[in-house]
Amino acid sequence: MAIPDKNEPGSSLLQIQDLNVIYKTDEATVYAVNGISFELGRKETIGLVGETGAGKTTTALAIMRLLPEETGFIKGGEIRFQGEDLVKKSQPDMREIRGAKISMIFQDPMTSLNPIMPVGDQILESLEIHNSENLSKEDLNKRVDELLSLVGILPQRKKDFPHQFSGGMKQRIVIAIALACRPELLIADEPTTALDVTIQAQVLELMRELKEKLGTSMIMITHDLGVVAETCDKVAIMYAGRIVEAGSAEDVFEGEKHHPYTVGLFGSIPNLEEETDRLHPIDGLMPDPTDLPPGCPFHPRCKQCMDICREKMPEFYTSGEHRIACHLYTKGD
Amino acid sequence: MFLCGTVQRQYEGYWKGKRGDIMSDVAVRHRTINPQYKKKSQAKEVWRRMKKNKIAMVGLVIFAIIVLCTIFADVIVPYSVALEQNMDTRYLPPSAEHWFGCDNYGRDIFARVIHGTRNSLVMGIGAVAVGVSLGALLGSLTGYFGGVVDTVIMRILDVMNTIPFMLLALSIAAALGPSLVNVLIALMISMVPYYTRVIRSSILNVVGQDFIEAGRACGTSNFFIILRHVLPNAIGPVIVQATMSVGSMILNASAMSFLGMGIQPPAPEWGSMLNEAKDYMLYYPHMVIFPGLAIVLTALSVNLMGDGLRDALDPRLKD
Amino acid sequence: MEPLIRTVNLKKYFDVSGGKLHAVDDVNITIPKGKTLGVVGESGCGKSTLGRTVLRLIEPTSGEVYFEGENITKASRGELKELRKKMQIIFQDPFSSLNPRMSVFDLIAEPLVTHHIYKHRADLTDRILELMEEVGLAERYVNSYPHEMDGGRRQRVGVARALALGPEFIVCDEPVSALDVSIQAQILNLLMDLQDNLGLTYMFITHDLSVVKHISDEIAVMYLGQCVEHCPTKELFANPMHPYTKALLSAIPVPKLRKNFTRKIIRGEVSTPIDPKPGCRFASRCDYCQAGCTGSDIPLKEYSPGHYVACPHCVELMEKKE
Repeated sequence: MAIPDKNEPGSSLLQIQDLNVIYKTDEATVYAVNGISFELGRKETIGLVGETGAGKTTTALAIMRLLPEETGFIKGGEIRFQGEDLVKKSQPDMREIRGAKISMIFQDPMTSLNPIMPVGDQILESLEIHNSENLSKEDLNKRVDELLSLVGILPQRKKDFPHQFSGGMKQRIVIAIALACRPELLIADEPTTALDVTIQAQVLELMRELKEKLGTSMIMITHDLGVVAETCDKVAIMYAGRIVEAGSAEDVFEGEKHHPYTVGLFGSIPNLEEETDRLHPIDGLMPDPTDLPPGCPFHPRCKQCMDICREKMPEFYTSGEHRIACHLYTKGD
Repeated sequence: MFLCGTVQRQYEGYWKGKRGDIMSDVAVRHRTINPQYKKKSQAKEVWRRMKKNKIAMVGLVIFAIIVLCTIFADVIVPYSVALEQNMDTRYLPPSAEHWFGCDNYGRDIFARVIHGTRNSLVMGIGAVAVGVSLGALLGSLTGYFGGVVDTVIMRILDVMNTIPFMLLALSIAAALGPSLVNVLIALMISMVPYYTRVIRSSILNVVGQDFIEAGRACGTSNFFIILRHVLPNAIGPVIVQATMSVGSMILNASAMSFLGMGIQPPAPEWGSMLNEAKDYMLYYPHMVIFPGLAIVLTALSVNLMGDGLRDALDPRLKD
Repeated sequence: MEPLIRTVNLKKYFDVSGGKLHAVDDVNITIPKGKTLGVVGESGCGKSTLGRTVLRLIEPTSGEVYFEGENITKASRGELKELRKKMQIIFQDPFSSLNPRMSVFDLIAEPLVTHHIYKHRADLTDRILELMEEVGLAERYVNSYPHEMDGGRRQRVGVARALALGPEFIVCDEPVSALDVSIQAQILNLLMDLQDNLGLTYMFITHDLSVVKHISDEIAVMYLGQCVEHCPTKELFANPMHPYTKALLSAIPVPKLRKNFTRKIIRGEVSTPIDPKPGCRFASRCDYCQAGCTGSDIPLKEYSPGHYVACPHCVELMEKKE
């Protein structure tokens, strides 16, 4: 379903409409993303939440146009970034955009840094590639120092190699590289999953500060609703390649109506503040993405499943910004 | 629920009330696995997966033909033909009478290739098979136990490694005296250091995984852990490595024959045929081509089979 | 009553280049029968080593482990094999803890076959089918291989293996942290049901405080090989005393919108566990570090019944706050 563009042109940074992505291998076709739409304004953060195989990372890779060339295909839809459709861009054009206007932080800081290159040089490298203002080497080096102190690392350490830093520090360096060219949009794919809680708190705090300081828009991909609650303005809950519920953080965390899957997700997390004897997990498993069930993809696991759910994919029930793709709320229409 | 002896006591509390009521009127009734989910025979499964691999099947067919040649060598062509020298037929190119032509003594090359199969096959495959087995044994000990065992065995093998392969094999064969069996032993022993190293590194990858510790946690002995958990997961890459060295082992064996160890002329053997023919290669290429082809086909077929076998043995690679 | 598991000054040091890595340093824990002890800490705090040392999968450097009042630290190989029937472990990663070349049947059968529990194959089959039922695995998976199943089902196989010998004590080493949230909840519920039905005793190792709160009766918080706080679960969450515990609690992201929430962020990162200096190991990151905190080791002290804390200033800190 498409969202009408109500906002003034300019205030909206990224609009995704009806995006479909498949992975094609010899044996099967994986329907990874099936018609998702969302919109992200400037200085906003959206959280894409879901479990393994929900299509979160595929969405991010599609935006970056980094899907594996042989197997991953965008089968339709638009990704409008600053008014231009990224789907139609050529790879050389995308290379100009990647790293400069859109950059990405990956889950594992250990593997996203080059182990035999000083970290300062790695930041410098990404500055040099996108050096549109033709700054001198000294200016660029000065910028490296700035970036390092921005993420809370002493600039003197820029000659050190990645293995001399701890996991949290490495993730800070990865963030510095991602922010090097002052991107408009930052995609963070599970940026704190590999880190310990106390370090995660530090990194999340840093990301929040930077967002305020630099005004970067962000897509936060995570499975952790706690992280979302702390960092995001908007939330989209994904299931089997679809957005099943989306809205502002208030809508999703405090709203009255929810998609049964959202309810299930919240029920699966042990609550720190309440005493519960047993958790209320969602029965069953994620559907096989090569063979999705007809109708609503969640219906085999849904406790409130109705006949119509097995046949027809629900339209969005909307109330303001809050969208829920469930027949429970649309059947009256 | 009927459980035998001590176990019944052990689980008496465990199942009390759970099944007693259902089973009380039946003395012995075992549950059976629904035949639909019955385990397919392991060998059949491996064969089924192997059959799907066309290239491996080609290897298997070639290898089967070679083995048949070994068995029915005397039926195909009498052994005497392979030894019979004839001045009139020297250097004859392939013809209807002599399919592969004749060599510098006028012997029929076809007969010699056919009768050489047995010697070459035993040399090549035998040496590799036993060498790999010994290597697997030592490699498991060093890789799994580590520590002192590892240090001692590996240092000894390192010393063996400093001696060039041929020299080592020759000295062992010389010490044991020239014969087919002794050459085989010499080649096996000389291969052990190499295979121990290959298998050890493969095993080190496996030993770090949790299922080894899971095995220990349920009390499985080291012997069974190595046998059931470590080796099956480590041997895959080694099988391919091993099949690749079958060809070079045939040549090594012939080099030994050439140097006076092992099979003595005029007994036919592919490697020594190549050796004899090399002086005439430019003028009478058929003398090298046919024994060479035999070695290549054998090595290739074993290699293709090994490749297919590794995949067929791995249940993770689906169909 | 004698607790099921008791450790006395348990230590495990690993030899590494540059000294000794103090993975477990002087840990005293007790787990009463039928209860769950949660062991919480960040990566590298020695919680997994503690679990394995208690089971003697790793030999301790010094100290003792008592199981039902018997010192098992000196148990012989044969005695140890008998003990394995009573003490089991569930691993974190259901991908690497199951041998990829064995079917579910063989995997669950391994402990039973190792201990020659059954004489007849039919009895073995019975038991395996029962175990599969017990952990909620459908019969059709009996001859599947691990790679054909998802993480949740594999972990159920891991649980079935651990249960096969009818153990009394199970070390759960982060059994749910590799799983998706909805699957995580299924496995947690399964573990709790099994505890209720079979009277199992758990040592539940995790980095996730919300999980540990849900499942444990008591919690031990570990930092760099040492236990810094040990008390009943409710008490820990209502009344955390050690500054590290407080920081840890504050660091958890809660799936709730918390306006005006200010988090206490602890600075710095975990220091090295190789030959640590005597004194409180958290001192370098602690805001309340005082002269007495370094120099000599700080033992656990009982501040209120059952609540042990290794911080000499924790009472002042509590008062200061209020």
